Amino acid sequence: MKNLLLFFLLQSFTTAALFAQDRIVRGKIVDEKGEELPIVNIKVLGSNIVTVSDMGGNYQITVPSDTSTLVYTFIGMATQYERVNNRSIVNVTMEQDLQHLEEVMVVAYGTTTKEAFTGSAETIDDEVLKDRAVTSFDKALQGTTPGLMVSSSSGQPGSAATIRIRGIGSISAGSAPLYVLDGVPMTGSITDLNPNDIASITVLKDAAAASLYGSRAANGVILITTNQGKSGETKISLNSQFGVSSRISDGYALMNSSQIYEHSWRGLYNRALNDNLSAEEAIEHAHENVEGVVGFNPFSSERPLGDDGKVIDGTHLHTNTNWRDELYKNGLVNNHNLNISGGNDLTKVFFSLGYYDDTGIILSSDYTRYTSKVNVSHKINDFLTAGVNSMLSYSKTNAPPNGSQGSNPVRSVEVINAASPVYNDDGTYNWDNKAVLDFNPVGLAEKDKYLYETKRGVLNSYLNVDFTKSLSFKTTLGIDNSINKGLNYYNREHGNGEGVDGRSVMSQSDNLTWNVSNLFNYNLYRENFSVTLLAGQEAAGQSIASLSSGVTGFAVDGYYDLLWGSQPSKPSSSTTEWTLVSYLGQAKFDIKDRYYFSGSIRTDGSSRFGQNHKYGVFYSIGGGWRINNENFMRDISWINHLKIRSSYGTSGNNNIGNYSFLGLYGGGADYSGFPGLTPTQLDNQDIRWEKISNFNVGFESRLVRNLTLSAEYYIRHSDGLLYSKPLSASKGIGSVLTNLGAMDNKGFEVAMSYDIKTNSDFYSTIGFNISTNKNTVLKLTTEQVVSGTKLIEEGASLYQFYLTEWAGVDPSNGKPLWYVNYTGQDGTELPASAFQDPNGSDRLVTSEYGDAERVRLGTALPTVFGGVNYSVGYKNLELSLLFSYSYGNKVYNHDYATNMHDGQAPGNNLAADALNAWTPDNIYTNVPRYVVNNTDRGNEMSSRFLEDGSYVRLKNVTLAYRLPSRLCNKMGISGLRAYVSGENLWTLTNYKGFDPEMSINGVTGSNIPGVKVVSTGFNLDF
Amino acid sequence: MNTIIKKSIIALFSLSLLFSCTNDFLELEPSFALKEKDVFSKYSSAHSALVGAYDQLSSPNFDGLYNPIMSDIMGEDVMINSEDNWNWFTDVYQMNLLPTFSYINSPWWIGYKIIFDANQIIENIDNIPDATQEQKDNLEGQARALRAYVNLKLVQMYAPAYKRNNMAPSIMIVDQVLPIEAEDPGRSPIQDVYDLIESDLLKAVELLPELEPNDIDEGFISKKGAHALLARTYLDQEKWEGAKEHAQNAYKDLDLMTANEMYGGFMSRNSETIFTIAYTEEDNNVYLSLPSFYWPVGGYSSMRANDKFIEKFSTEDLRFFFFLKEEEIDENRNLILKFGHNRIVGNAERIVIRASEMYLIEAECEAELGNYSKAQDALHVIQSRAYPGVPKSKNVGQELIDEVLLERRKELFGEGFRWHDIKRRQLPFVREGDHWVKFNFTADDYDYYRMTFPIPQSEIDVNTNISEADQNVGY
Repeated sequence: MKNLLLFFLLQSFTTAALFAQDRIVRGKIVDEKGEELPIVNIKVLGSNIVTVSDMGGNYQITVPSDTSTLVYTFIGMATQYERVNNRSIVNVTMEQDLQHLEEVMVVAYGTTTKEAFTGSAETIDDEVLKDRAVTSFDKALQGTTPGLMVSSSSGQPGSAATIRIRGIGSISAGSAPLYVLDGVPMTGSITDLNPNDIASITVLKDAAAASLYGSRAANGVILITTNQGKSGETKISLNSQFGVSSRISDGYALMNSSQIYEHSWRGLYNRALNDNLSAEEAIEHAHENVEGVVGFNPFSSERPLGDDGKVIDGTHLHTNTNWRDELYKNGLVNNHNLNISGGNDLTKVFFSLGYYDDTGIILSSDYTRYTSKVNVSHKINDFLTAGVNSMLSYSKTNAPPNGSQGSNPVRSVEVINAASPVYNDDGTYNWDNKAVLDFNPVGLAEKDKYLYETKRGVLNSYLNVDFTKSLSFKTTLGIDNSINKGLNYYNREHGNGEGVDGRSVMSQSDNLTWNVSNLFNYNLYRENFSVTLLAGQEAAGQSIASLSSGVTGFAVDGYYDLLWGSQPSKPSSSTTEWTLVSYLGQAKFDIKDRYYFSGSIRTDGSSRFGQNHKYGVFYSIGGGWRINNENFMRDISWINHLKIRSSYGTSGNNNIGNYSFLGLYGGGADYSGFPGLTPTQLDNQDIRWEKISNFNVGFESRLVRNLTLSAEYYIRHSDGLLYSKPLSASKGIGSVLTNLGAMDNKGFEVAMSYDIKTNSDFYSTIGFNISTNKNTVLKLTTEQVVSGTKLIEEGASLYQFYLTEWAGVDPSNGKPLWYVNYTGQDGTELPASAFQDPNGSDRLVTSEYGDAERVRLGTALPTVFGGVNYSVGYKNLELSLLFSYSYGNKVYNHDYATNMHDGQAPGNNLAADALNAWTPDNIYTNVPRYVVNNTDRGNEMSSRFLEDGSYVRLKNVTLAYRLPSRLCNKMGISGLRAYVSGENLWTLTNYKGFDPEMSINGVTGSNIPGVKVVSTGFNLDF
Repeated sequence: MNTIIKKSIIALFSLSLLFSCTNDFLELEPSFALKEKDVFSKYSSAHSALVGAYDQLSSPNFDGLYNPIMSDIMGEDVMINSEDNWNWFTDVYQMNLLPTFSYINSPWWIGYKIIFDANQIIENIDNIPDATQEQKDNLEGQARALRAYVNLKLVQMYAPAYKRNNMAPSIMIVDQVLPIEAEDPGRSPIQDVYDLIESDLLKAVELLPELEPNDIDEGFISKKGAHALLARTYLDQEKWEGAKEHAQNAYKDLDLMTANEMYGGFMSRNSETIFTIAYTEEDNNVYLSLPSFYWPVGGYSSMRANDKFIEKFSTEDLRFFFFLKEEEIDENRNLILKFGHNRIVGNAERIVIRASEMYLIEAECEAELGNYSKAQDALHVIQSRAYPGVPKSKNVGQELIDEVLLERRKELFGEGFRWHDIKRRQLPFVREGDHWVKFNFTADDYDYYRMTFPIPQSEIDVNTNISEADQNVGY
């Protein structure tokens, strides 16, 4: 390698020496359509000789040697290199640079060029966000960027996705990235932002990119840059989109009413046999009680089942409710935006109005948002510039509760059996069912109310002072205020409000975040190097004041205001605050456009830590080497760009909630009318910042003009992880926040894209990215932490499943089997219930759930994930496809377990798979016997319900047509584009449930499943 | 003004912005909570800490609902319906429990939380600057009584019976505030726990003020309450003299409620109440209350009485009318009318200790001590209220003891006694008749393990001195 290098170096020197004589070169520069390009910059590489093309695209330049290389640069065009090679006329056709947007990129506290940047960051332009029927931009990011894990865990319109950059950095402190809106860090929800207002998004992944945000950068940073006005002609555009949304898939089938009736009969029969009744008595017992267990007889005859437990032929069935169909519906999506942008050299304005409405895929779930944005900047005089970036939004959503309670309609339709009707014969709601008595989800959707409203105003104003050409100062003040209102109303007759004659609870919170930053910026450009320095201070804080009160005892139905209730419930109010003060500095050097160095340092002081650990210092260093600018690379024309870079740095995490280090007594523990206090939190003054160190190495390249290829490797090491360490009950409170251990995230990221262009009418681009992430807990102060389905231990993933291992069904009696997995640890003895597996695994099994030891069963985090995109254009037509995929992640399907209860919850609906339950005639099966009031425990947590969550999904497909400019001119518009787009249309997966894409810890939670959307729309530019 | 001056002013101004933050800026305190050291700086807030401990005690996951209801459905007199009940407590009734269930976890964790709260009060009692000696005595007395109450509950649930083996491992003894780093306590022998309970209660009796019945707030543990708890503690240990003496101290000066009052639904305190949990609708989930499960309409309404149990009542016994067959609600089983709602669902106090129980303890002790006539007298007080004119028992010896125990079932069913009454005397467990899960085992059978809860998995997972090997037999 070294020799080769030397060889190239020598060669270039000798040739230069041999042919050193001046020569004049002329030529003409045109673009792809053959039109002349004026004012193209032409420079002789490695010299000071520069010229510019004239209005006809002609130029003339004196070159020092026949082997000189000419560099042609023009804004919006790919920089072109031409070797003179003894020619006197060098004509050049410049091509549009598709990568152009990436050249200047928004980074922490400023901008840079992609070439000079030493960190790892990815810019996503608004092309990705365009045409997408999503409420917020986060959902559109899936599959677009290596290292970025996006999962939307709920189909509730307006809900945010979960985003993780380069794995999970923390155990119980937050793992969400920091969002920075137009340079101001924000804390509130990102779903209030209209994706239409966003010009670009930058994902900062490593220390060199993110460390300048110090304690808030631990989980990466996402910079959101909104549209700004441009000087020149006023541009008005109207974007409209209409769509239809529906449930993403059909999920696993549930039993119909005949099936549940027969199955329940069988369960009663089995129960009776268990209780030592004779077969005849058992049949009679089953006949007598089956209606009681199911709740309804869906047949027209009194005794619809024969003594074999099957429906007697010809029996008329009158009820067969598909509860899912009663709840789920198609949603309508309306998304309309008006943008106006314009300005002159002094003042630039961008203005937008937005309306988004989604009627939701289930009853009583919807979302409406209105937004408006004004961004103004004005050059006051030759050294002062001031501006304002503002955003207003109002959103209103109906969102029924999730979780396992009866008021969750999504869960209710899974557990109410099909024999239960929605309506009584007289058309009123039927409130009776065996699963969630008095919680008919269709009735409650009409009668109860879960309404949430948000009004949000974000205002960032700044003043920029240019003291000299090199030194400037910028002060920025950001205010982000959202006022949230919530109304929960439970009607007086059914469901949650029945016992108290109706309940209404109103809550309101006022969330104010502020941010002040003062930054000095110094730039020095010299022939062979440049220096950029940044120094300044930032302070931020947040205050959330909330108030809630409620009443019960309603006389009239359907009126929610508190004055309608007669009995006040206990109101409450509280305020919680944090503050942060920081000093920061950064230096960047650029030597000969080849060597780049950067360093940053920041100190943060946070109110969230005790006296001894209030301050943290975070730093980063980075370097880049742009190899293609080296002389020895000049001849290798197929390498257009090649850079290697590496960085190391630290950041911290303080996402732990306020006041966590204080020993506290909370109020509200009232008793017998007296006010009470109770300890809520143990004192721990010693908790300190989580420290994250980040190493990154990677290369980026553009080859043969059309192929970009980049790869990176990172090690993210988190130390002093904040974790609510579980304690023995003897310590009073179940856990205490401690700096528990260390964790690593390591991974590769590869991205590739290739432009295929056959002629100016036809082009296509294919892109591909793949990421790996291995999450390993390195150190824990306790040996193991078992929590729910997971086991946290050294050497394993944070989301490692830890469950008893399912061994199938005992063919001799239908009882569930689990592998004993006896280890003899803890001094326990081999349980007496263990026996050789009758299914022939040669392992010991047991039918006593408690006797089986839990084992490690893989992780909820994928081994690889990423995306593939392809776009193809022909004349004015364009088709683009985006796939996302995830491989190797496990999912614990809690919902499915609920539907496979084996009789533990008699009368609750079952998955159709349960029809395969063990019977003496069906002994080889994986579904245990069905016994009413079963105590076999077959549906307890075990690997029976652990599934492979891998999937490939067609995230988006869009077909667009652009009206030819000729026609546009005739119509007096400057552009019209129409499109059809589909979101989540196709998924390939073995997962049984509705949607393998779910909460990041891999446990289902009866959420509204994901949605697919088919939409059509147009963009009209005036 | 020339540009240079303008720029300088701006530069100075911006520099001043850079360094304008003070240190106080990062010192924030919550508005919704008190710092630990501030709680015991005033009597009023220290007293609130005691109220807070009672609040935990009243929680539905502890003595508000879980403990009393489980204590009866782990017996043979009542049952919980498996239908229309949202699956509440069915695992407990089936006596098929796993160490991960919330029925197992909640009483353990809340119990130790109350003990922690009480320990905080006991340890800080001398640091309250503005408290009088009486106030301090009252606070400490109640804290000790609470700690004893909880320890007694936990040892009865999570350990085998004292009678079976008083040196068997039981629960953790936590008699002081343990620092986070302190070694986790293991399971102490049953005897040690009873000794701690006894010493706490004796101290409480000494500290708590002697009050006229009218001045007592039965929502808190009084001197009478401490006596009553001592009677229960000694009864478990078969210390008949001590149990008798403290039972008498507890019921002294109290009038039994009348038969009519008995029908009042046990929803508020009455003349014989010694300690009641003052459950209020404002700070509790009223659906998770005893009447919500017991009363035939309104809440879950899923408790039923066993037919064999009802047969034990004379039809002239007024308590016979606590049972009702109402086909529209349940065509097969008997409903229970003992615990009613007050105005709305679940708005009812739960009477925890009442004088009748003390008479029955007295009767049991006297019978054991061979003082049959005293035992018959005490028993008659209870029998004759529900069955006016019933002749006084002529039984002696074991028959008398059995009669007292049967009377406990009749008088106290639903009040959270049966499970432990079977266990403390190591009686056979027999469920017959219309039970939907039947059992028949004696103290010598393996199945008797079901009479003891497992140690919660959540404790075993974190406690360095309790491992799987220390788990109770059978789990």
